[in-house]
Amino acid sequence: MAKNRKAAKPHMHDHEVHVRAVEEDLEYYRTKRFEPRVIYFARRGAVTFYDLLKANPSPKHTVKPSKARKGMEARIRALEDGLDDYVRGFGLVSSLPVKGIEMVIEDTRKERGDYDDFFRIAKKEHDGTLEQRIARLERDLRDCKTLLDAFAQALLRKGLIDQKEFRRRQEALSAETEWSGGRIVARAWVDPEFKANLIATGRQAVRELGIPPGRLGKLGVVENTESVHNIVVCTLCSCYPHDLLGDTPWWYKHDSYKQRIIRDPRGTLEAMFHLRIPPSVEIRVHDSTSDVRYMVLPQRPPDTEEMSEEELAKLVTIDSLIGAGYALHPSRRKEAERTERVRPVYA
Amino acid sequence: MGDQVRIKQENPVGNPRTPKHIRGKKGVIVALHGVIPNPQDHRGLYSPLYTVLFDVKEIFGGSSHDKLRVDVHEEWLEAE
Repeated sequence: MAKNRKAAKPHMHDHEVHVRAVEEDLEYYRTKRFEPRVIYFARRGAVTFYDLLKANPSPKHTVKPSKARKGMEARIRALEDGLDDYVRGFGLVSSLPVKGIEMVIEDTRKERGDYDDFFRIAKKEHDGTLEQRIARLERDLRDCKTLLDAFAQALLRKGLIDQKEFRRRQEALSAETEWSGGRIVARAWVDPEFKANLIATGRQAVRELGIPPGRLGKLGVVENTESVHNIVVCTLCSCYPHDLLGDTPWWYKHDSYKQRIIRDPRGTLEAMFHLRIPPSVEIRVHDSTSDVRYMVLPQRPPDTEEMSEEELAKLVTIDSLIGAGYALHPSRRKEAERTERVRPVYA
Repeated sequence: MGDQVRIKQENPVGNPRTPKHIRGKKGVIVALHGVIPNPQDHRGLYSPLYTVLFDVKEIFGGSSHDKLRVDVHEEWLEAE
């Protein structure tokens, strides 16, 4: 899928952090989202393993950088882009309704083997040198994309998803669109009435911006103020209004965050995100369920009085919507690598 | 609202989706969400959902003054 990124990419500070993020994210999508879907379809006879064998995936799923770009940083960028592509592809395949198949996301405890070891899904070890980890990811991601392609081809070939609708969504997903999270927050900063409506009604309020409100339960909006800092977690799985705001950063789904943040919110914010909350500010941790999914409404940064709503939207990071960061000061806009890595919303 | 509640230890018939660390703990109801239809995640309806406020200290000990808010279905709550 074509991708056009306008913003210049900032320099990568820590290669290992980027590689780990790709590893964790790919593991999540492979084991929690994609493979359970394949198995679910196979068990119901809708797409069998034999259908996958007969499908004809493109052999060109490489995730290596083009020849002009060299070095470790270029390879990691190619992995990140490849992963984004995989996630978009999965979004495309899973967003189309398949007649007679209703699939719900499986709960983490089940696939971790908490109820019965039978259901446990093995996770890969991410060991070795950085070079080895990158090479392994290049291989794994290529395989993952090939299998995803085969699955999509099999769905199309069997007429389980509509070809025309598939192409239409494919084009819509690759088009550059503004991130809804930024737009919602910027409007709330400039329009107190919208803000009150957003906090009171959640999803209903975003219709005003022409954003589809999504259907994944209720949207809880919690506002950060001078005296309260909110932070969101889902200790049992990874519930988040992703139909509205796109996907979360990898750490949101990771036990290292989920287990620590509830035990020591203040210490964890400082250790993991370098965010020091003044002692006078109360921290509220919101544990999400699939029925009420929370977003944080961050505070408007100082020195932004003159900025337009469109400019303000660019200061909103994914981390700030979870409470793991503040919205950016305008002088730091260029560092906003995380907003750049916002994934598309697939409804 | 404002009612003191205790989370049940076990609830064999209800939605099992209540975190272990709050079971048996005391909290205060701070919001009522009601019954939320959510067919993409579960087919049936669960009992009404409440937001219960806990002290981090009450659950994990230590000296933290911070708060946890967890959404819990009615069937898991006992009046304190």
